[in-house]
Amino acid sequence: MTSYHDADKKYNMFSGTAAAADKKRTFSISDDIVARNFQATAGSRMLEGYFPVFDSAVVSRMTAENSLIGTTNMDEFGFGMFSVSGTKIPKNPFDPERSCGGSCGGAACAASVLEDHVALGTSAGGSISSPAAFCGVFGLTPTFGRVSRYGQIDTVSSMGPVGIFASKSELLKKYLPVISGKDERDPTSTAQPELKIGKKKLRSVAVPKGVTDGVSDGVRKAFDDSVNMLKSMSVNVEYVDMPILRHAMPAHYILCATEATTNLAGYCGMRCGQRDGDLSLPFNDYFASFRSKYFGAETKLRIIIGTYATMGENRRTMYLRSLGVRKLAINSYNGIFKDHDAVLTPSMPYAAPKIADAVIMSSVDSYMASRFAAPPAFCGLPSVSVPCGYSDGLPVGMQFTACHWNEDVLLDAADLWERSFIVKAPEVSL
Amino acid sequence: MRIGLEIHVQLPTRSKMFCSCPATGAEGPNEHICPGCMGMPGTRPSLNRAAVETGIKIARLLNCTVPDVAWFSRKVYYYPDICRHYQITQYETPIGSKGVYYLGDKPIRITRAHLEEDPGSMRISGNNALIDYNRSGMPLVEIVTEPDISSPAEAREFLKALLRDIRHVTDLPDDGERSIRADCNISVGTERCEVKNVTGLKNVERALTYEAVRQTKVIRSGGKIVRETRHYDEERKVTTSARKKEFESDYAYIGEPHLGMINVKKIADSVVTKESPHDMILRFRNELGVDEKIAAQIVGTSVEMAKLFENLVKIVGTESSLKWVTGPISANWKALEKNVSEKTGPLTDVIAMHAKGKINDVECSIRIKELITGEDRKTTERAADDLDVIIRKAIEDNPSVVGDYKKSDKAANRIIGAVMKSTGGVFSSSDIVEATKRILNDMIK
Ligand SMILES: [Zn+2]
Repeated sequence: MTSYHDADKKYNMFSGTAAAADKKRTFSISDDIVARNFQATAGSRMLEGYFPVFDSAVVSRMTAENSLIGTTNMDEFGFGMFSVSGTKIPKNPFDPERSCGGSCGGAACAASVLEDHVALGTSAGGSISSPAAFCGVFGLTPTFGRVSRYGQIDTVSSMGPVGIFASKSELLKKYLPVISGKDERDPTSTAQPELKIGKKKLRSVAVPKGVTDGVSDGVRKAFDDSVNMLKSMSVNVEYVDMPILRHAMPAHYILCATEATTNLAGYCGMRCGQRDGDLSLPFNDYFASFRSKYFGAETKLRIIIGTYATMGENRRTMYLRSLGVRKLAINSYNGIFKDHDAVLTPSMPYAAPKIADAVIMSSVDSYMASRFAAPPAFCGLPSVSVPCGYSDGLPVGMQFTACHWNEDVLLDAADLWERSFIVKAPEVSL
Repeated sequence: MRIGLEIHVQLPTRSKMFCSCPATGAEGPNEHICPGCMGMPGTRPSLNRAAVETGIKIARLLNCTVPDVAWFSRKVYYYPDICRHYQITQYETPIGSKGVYYLGDKPIRITRAHLEEDPGSMRISGNNALIDYNRSGMPLVEIVTEPDISSPAEAREFLKALLRDIRHVTDLPDDGERSIRADCNISVGTERCEVKNVTGLKNVERALTYEAVRQTKVIRSGGKIVRETRHYDEERKVTTSARKKEFESDYAYIGEPHLGMINVKKIADSVVTKESPHDMILRFRNELGVDEKIAAQIVGTSVEMAKLFENLVKIVGTESSLKWVTGPISANWKALEKNVSEKTGPLTDVIAMHAKGKINDVECSIRIKELITGEDRKTTERAADDLDVIIRKAIEDNPSVVGDYKKSDKAANRIIGAVMKSTGGVFSSSDIVEATKRILNDMIK
């Protein structure tokens, strides 16, 4: 079995590690999920020094039978698709010069490299599907409200449940029930219906028309081959119109930014994280000094946009309208789920880019990479990204999205797919 | 003159609004805190149902519309004592809206009443600002009135009556007038100023009076009132300009996604609302024929006393009840209040005896006092000793009585009559009869 300390030296997936695992089965959490004795920074220098005094709900549920071995690297506060904006950059197991995807890149990397490891991560806009695709593992994003978010450092609060990365689909099936369930400490988790597993079969998928327009050749080929393979497995495939997806992207961006603006407002050099400021300053200047120094460029940009979107009249034209778009998008999905079990798209428009290229990529280009992965998260829908091909040796993923609370059909899809598709492990030499 | 108030009242819940920290009884700063009310990353609020229930009671008191479904919002501002830099409050769906409160017969329109959390409190100590988070996350209701109040004195009257009613419907303990904070909007001419965060009824009246005089002087001398926020200095009893008026949109409200939608209707259906003191006064006037001022006096002393009054009316009628309630009962209310439930029965018996003519006014009055105060019981015991002394003295003065009493009980009446005469109604006749017979019986044994 690969030592996780050695793996970390090579791939830089952990932001913090336990000295040793005392149980056979191991799990990790992304750096925005809190656990006692682990620093939790959500990938931001702002929170360096924050050691939570409580365990998150998922950690409490997992530790009975599994050892928590570490926290994994991610984009700062989840802002990014390549895990290059956080405190440390994880390296792709298939090519260490390439990105792991984001924002939970470290988690996907750990699931890919460590045997039978369960990596928990969070997703408010594709942060599970993106790295799962780039690192060639399964990534399950449950319905918003399925898993208690108690102990999750919020950037976005109306999206982004805790999900699971694993190299085998059976691990998703095994651990989803462990982390799911009502928790009165998170009121959004208390309305969920019972989680049923093994009842629903994947029979029919809808593919949005033109979904492979503008994607890389490697992704198009892998996706088209996979669609054909699904057909041969007697899954019905139909191409559908989903024009709302175009509007979902800007609306998603605005909602993420506005919620993030308020969630990050408390970080100011008081109470937790960085606190080594000049106490002689007036409080506004004191706060500003920390926020200028410790927030990264992307975080600052989102805060500015989020503030702008709620100022004066913008509140109506941007913030409230985005909430309206979310309703329309949910309706559009629900219309499709009347006739189909899932919507199928590629997970990402291309395979993992070089880290050097991702670092200099514009904010908009980076965000547009989430155009398949973000809309389900925006609508609170569950999805699963599965490995579906290899382009020049790099993994490509596709994403099934199901109706609210219908994780069952996604687990069946992952299971069905894994039985026919040969998932390659990276060649890890330590 | 137009005055509108924004009033903050702390709700009497056992725990805080969004965590399980106790809401009262902290002995030192930062004693009742947890990661939740400190805003530590990873925590999230869960709503205290009791806060919503109390909000509904207050909304009903104010004759407000209560929404079926409500949600909370985040009001963003940067200040050291607000731990997340946003306050969880209600914006679009206040727990009560468009109500009216009657000050006597005068309607004061209520714009809205909404639930929100209190921030922590900050104290400046030398060069340091010290933050105490005990108050952070305490449940509050903020009541906003239309500018329907026409004088500082009326503002005080209004707050007094409102607080009395809120205390009654929510079982809020009376812990002095400082538990109320108000922002006071006042305009003498066309533009208004807001005096922020005035604590206590007296200060509200003083701040408004000062502000009315100031604005009048400015206008008379040809100046213009600038719309602004002002601060009331309790020491110097003046208002001073604080900062430019912030407008609501500056707060960048967004929905609080952690709490989701709250089914207020379901909670409201299970909330039983008590009759407000104001409604009680009107009912006494309309149904029992009590003069409104006197009704207000009775209810104003205590709603519990008003209930005692109602019970008495059923047995002895309005006139007699008024006589005893506004008389000895009201005068000794502070003592009676503590154990009114166990004493209501005996009190009613005494007053019923008076109504039937079995005891006279003086005796009834004395018996009521006896019943009410524990101290009086001691006095009564002492008085009982005194009574014995008086009776023995009377027997000494009429030594033949003892021999006569052996022959006939009736001889006792001579002593009883003498004692009654000499004590002038201090003791009840039955006590005198009983004690005289006891002493004479001892003597003839
Ligand atoms: Zn607390």
